[in-house]
Amino acid sequence: MVQTSTTSPSAPVGESKPRIDAREKVTGAAIYTDDLQFGNALLHARIKRSPHPHALIKKIDVSKAQALPGVKAVVTGEDFPGYIGLYLQDRFIFCRDRVRYVGDPVVGVAAISEEIAQKALDLIDVEYEVLAPVLDPELGASPAAPILHPDLGQYVVAGFIFPEAGTNISNHFKLRKGNVEEAWASCAAIVERSYRIPHIQHVPLEPHIAISKVDEKGEVTLWTSSQSPFAQRNLIAQSLGLSQSDLRVISPAVGGGFGGKAGVSMESLAVAIAMKTKGHPVKLRLTREEEFFTAFVRQGLVAHFKMGCDASGRLLAMENRFYWDGGAYTEYGVNIARAAGYSCTGPYEVPNVKGDSYCVYTNHPVGGPMRGFGMPEMHSGLEQCIDELARQIGMDAIEFRKLNCLKTNSTLATGGKIHPIGLDQCIQKVADAIEWGKKNPPSAPNKRRGKGMAAMWKAPAMPPNAGSSAWVELAEDGKVNVGVGGQDLGQGSFTISAQMAAATLGVPYESVRVAAPVDTRYSPYEWQTVASRLTWSMGNAVVNAAKDARRQVLELVAQAWEESVEDLNIVNGVVISYKSEKEIPLKNLVIYGLPKPDGSGWRGGPILGRGNFMPNDVTGLDAETGQGEHGVVHYTTGAQAIELEVDLDTGRIEIIKGIAAFDVGKAINPDMVKAQMEGGLVQGLSSALFEELKLKDGFVQNPSFVDYRIATSTDVPREMKSIIVEVPQEDGPWGARGIGEHSMVATLPAIANAIYDAIGIRFDGPPFTSEKVYLAMLDAGIVT
Amino acid sequence: MLVDTHPALPEFEYIRPATLAEASYFLSLHPDTARPFLGGTDVFVRMRDGFMKPEYLVDVKNLDGTNELCFDPQSGLTVGAAVNMNRVIAAPDVQAHYPLLAEACRSVASYQLRTRATMVGNICNASPAGDSIGACLVFDGVLHIHGVNGPRQEPLSAFFRGPGKTTLKPGDIVTAIQLPVPPKGCAGKYLKLGRNRLSDLSIVAVTALGYKDPACSSGYRFRLALTSVAPVPLMPAEVEMYLANNPITPDALHEAARLAAGASSPIDDVRGGARYRRQMVRNLSVKALTEVWKNIS
Amino acid sequence: MAFHQINVTINHEREQVVVPSNMTLMQMLREKLALTGTKNGCSAGECGACTVMLNGEPVNSCMVLAVECDQATILTVEGLADDRQLDPIQEAIIEAGGVQCGFCTPGILISSRAFLNRNPNPSDEEIREALVGNLCRCTGYTRIVEAVKKAAGRKLAAPVASD
Repeated sequence: MVQTSTTSPSAPVGESKPRIDAREKVTGAAIYTDDLQFGNALLHARIKRSPHPHALIKKIDVSKAQALPGVKAVVTGEDFPGYIGLYLQDRFIFCRDRVRYVGDPVVGVAAISEEIAQKALDLIDVEYEVLAPVLDPELGASPAAPILHPDLGQYVVAGFIFPEAGTNISNHFKLRKGNVEEAWASCAAIVERSYRIPHIQHVPLEPHIAISKVDEKGEVTLWTSSQSPFAQRNLIAQSLGLSQSDLRVISPAVGGGFGGKAGVSMESLAVAIAMKTKGHPVKLRLTREEEFFTAFVRQGLVAHFKMGCDASGRLLAMENRFYWDGGAYTEYGVNIARAAGYSCTGPYEVPNVKGDSYCVYTNHPVGGPMRGFGMPEMHSGLEQCIDELARQIGMDAIEFRKLNCLKTNSTLATGGKIHPIGLDQCIQKVADAIEWGKKNPPSAPNKRRGKGMAAMWKAPAMPPNAGSSAWVELAEDGKVNVGVGGQDLGQGSFTISAQMAAATLGVPYESVRVAAPVDTRYSPYEWQTVASRLTWSMGNAVVNAAKDARRQVLELVAQAWEESVEDLNIVNGVVISYKSEKEIPLKNLVIYGLPKPDGSGWRGGPILGRGNFMPNDVTGLDAETGQGEHGVVHYTTGAQAIELEVDLDTGRIEIIKGIAAFDVGKAINPDMVKAQMEGGLVQGLSSALFEELKLKDGFVQNPSFVDYRIATSTDVPREMKSIIVEVPQEDGPWGARGIGEHSMVATLPAIANAIYDAIGIRFDGPPFTSEKVYLAMLDAGIVT
Repeated sequence: MLVDTHPALPEFEYIRPATLAEASYFLSLHPDTARPFLGGTDVFVRMRDGFMKPEYLVDVKNLDGTNELCFDPQSGLTVGAAVNMNRVIAAPDVQAHYPLLAEACRSVASYQLRTRATMVGNICNASPAGDSIGACLVFDGVLHIHGVNGPRQEPLSAFFRGPGKTTLKPGDIVTAIQLPVPPKGCAGKYLKLGRNRLSDLSIVAVTALGYKDPACSSGYRFRLALTSVAPVPLMPAEVEMYLANNPITPDALHEAARLAAGASSPIDDVRGGARYRRQMVRNLSVKALTEVWKNIS
Repeated sequence: MAFHQINVTINHEREQVVVPSNMTLMQMLREKLALTGTKNGCSAGECGACTVMLNGEPVNSCMVLAVECDQATILTVEGLADDRQLDPIQEAIIEAGGVQCGFCTPGILISSRAFLNRNPNPSDEEIREALVGNLCRCTGYTRIVEAVKKAAGRKLAAPVASD
């Protein structure tokens, strides 16, 4: 149901209001976790980590470290036998019998200074028995590979994840629809390609950090830069055998997340150490170097695509196989494999599909959620194959996509029909904006110019019962306080919560605040700030809470005025009657109520609106076929187009124009939606041209900004255009659905397709560095 | 190898001598445990990485004249050790007489890093990728060094012995780099290839300088310095000789570039591969030499 | 390891601080003076999140020793606004939508203020080059460049002292 009442205006929804938290960020007043002041009680922690990708722990000697003056606690996995994990409980907080990646935490030290804690690490002796590592996901999935998790069959696992015990396959998602074997015979063109997408990292400007304190009752407080305070509370409590209510998580401002600060990665280490520091808070922060390989990374992918179409260009069949290099622990990554599995056709209608998506254990850093959740990795290869197939059949890439893309009521590969979407509009709009078909001359004789585009889709990948809640209260001054459990990572969720509450209640945007920081003791429950789900899910909860508050106010005033609620409204913070034209501002009545006319007392009371939202019609997907009537809540779709130049002397790619169009249903704050489109395009561009965790024998060779390059101010296109398409999401607030991740999904394949347009070369994987491009041109005879 | 970078700098003593003599003396007393530093932008990073573990860091900024940049029509440009790169770039004398030097310094990192980075520090760090080194070589730079036996001068061309290795002895402090007055009407070009458009270390870099020289049968002398393609910055003599002795044509410039590529011995490392680097030496050399040629012919 | 007493002017206020040899300016600001607006993104001089003005020029404060700052004048993001009147660059970056997570913002603002002080009428390319040492992962930079352009056209409400 659309979340508007017949009388409330939509403003400020749909307006580009300035960020609610801008001022504190530009004055340096915003408090991030490392800015919290704890005084002398604070201890500092450092972690001793595995120097091997795979080894048994034979012996740990911490005696010299414990004896170092200033050291207050040394902890190992011996004291923490509980498994931890989101969808699959496959890791310990500290390693117990073995280490599975370079950087795996083995010992934690708390000391009166970070320096002393660091010195203590050098005094710890760990004896290892080195084991053969698994360094490739296809090899890892084969019967010959050493088994990294012998107890996989006993791990607690979510009902929609299917590990294969006795192997390194922690999830195998199957999609079976129609009959691909027969369909190939009817195909006029078939493309079969493989791609290797390397690991990359989120690179939030603020590295991971966690501060924890355990009080005399054993109750835990955790301050951490987090996308998921409630999920962290849940997972860590379960692992430590605590009750969720005895673990409080507070997240101050977050300096970038991109998925890496969801779930639990290093936060549990701080809590575990704090359990041994007699009530002293302990701060653990990752160096930038540690951030690159000991926090979550985005897992690598080996993808095999086979797709075919008939003579008219209609897609007939796809057979896609994904081997996800999930890393040492795949408690979160298993769902990425699943999401890629059910999305494996891309945003197209394909009658015959065979999809297999394997999440595979390797002795690589831990793969976790990163912006796009498998979609960028998958679309990287898929959208190139689509381009190739179009070329083979003699069709223009835009026309091919418009023909095959999902439209309202198209049948999904998982069964069921898709809701109304504007994907074909997005495709057309980027084509128009980039002047598709018009070949622009290169800017110099040593350049080649090309245009390329790609389409995408993504659904929020989350459990079927991921819930949101919100509250709305008012103060004597008539101003509004909105409580949410979702985080503002910079995407603007606090701002749009305020806009939605203001619109629903009938108050100015400027009089609404959001109760921050998110604190599980006071904030209402939110599953996680992931999946681009907040605008839709938390938005619905905020609207419900604001509606509840509005109802309470109007019922009170209606009673006091002896009028009917239908004749009342709140406009600009004033309750008005359309019938009697009476007015009363929202001020004191929201706390003290209103006096009864006969002096017999008061009516009303402190207004407190509450609301929640949880999807309640998500069906499962069959374990053998991946079919289900309503497997996801909705999809956001879109497209990007790129114009670029290739330098023939160096191989360098310069992106000239980046165009994006996404169907967001309703842009609650159009400027912020565009800001997401811009930021995502640049992050996508960065992953296409620069980024790669260079893994060799299990070691990340470039864990620093010196050699892990990201886009700088001079690397971005000088011309960017962001187009908003709005085909309403029926169950979204004002029709809205998410955008945060989607803007990074199509960029890389659009660039790859543009490179092909420019020089006729494709690569089996990114990044498309100058070196890769130049040597390919040299080998192809394009340059000598 | 497990990268074990520490969160902060390890402990050390900060020593700030008042005079050059004091500084040289202290350094010579502690040859293995004391290190001079200027901007610190290389030293601090290596200390956090555990690469360097000096007990003493000796601040040699603000010593006897190290803060001065001056130009003299006889002796040329003298850049004191403590002069930061932004000052070099902005100096009117540099822009007027050594624009190539400004171009090279400008390619280093970022403005805020260049507020601390110094040319002398860049040179003494002796990375084969040092951005200001090529320009100093083609201008025949001379280092002013203060050692335990007092001041001396050394040509930059003989200074580098390997990655991170120089001819400096314990107690030596480089106080300035001096670039003689450049040949009249010369033109230069610095071409640097990094991964990003700006701000990166170089994968390959080429510094070219050219000027009319009647002593050469071609009528022109070219100097070419290559960085990031050998253990030390290279000035391939075969390139200079070829261009001194053959008429300057586009083909000749290509041949010179080919010789430059042949003279280089790049390696495969995390930033780039040897094969690519060799190709880029050739391509960047052609470009740089051609642009210089355009400006002097 | 020795400790040094230094005298330094920070955001127009004189401070006297005792610092160990190995403490960086960034650490001194954050840990000794609770000026936490300046951020620690890498401690290696690469990301620019720690950028402050030292004697009027922007530096990566993680690459400067505190002890080297004796007698210096320092400006951090907390010193940009004058008694709640925001610097034009702070206003402009809000208007342009150039703030998301905000972690790069303090460094960006200092770099930009320093840049506009030396180049009051910049081109887009000059702005981009000036900010190349300030990494941002959220915005894609375009709105930040717009903000600097906007701010270039505006006067400062009060002088931002550099030395």
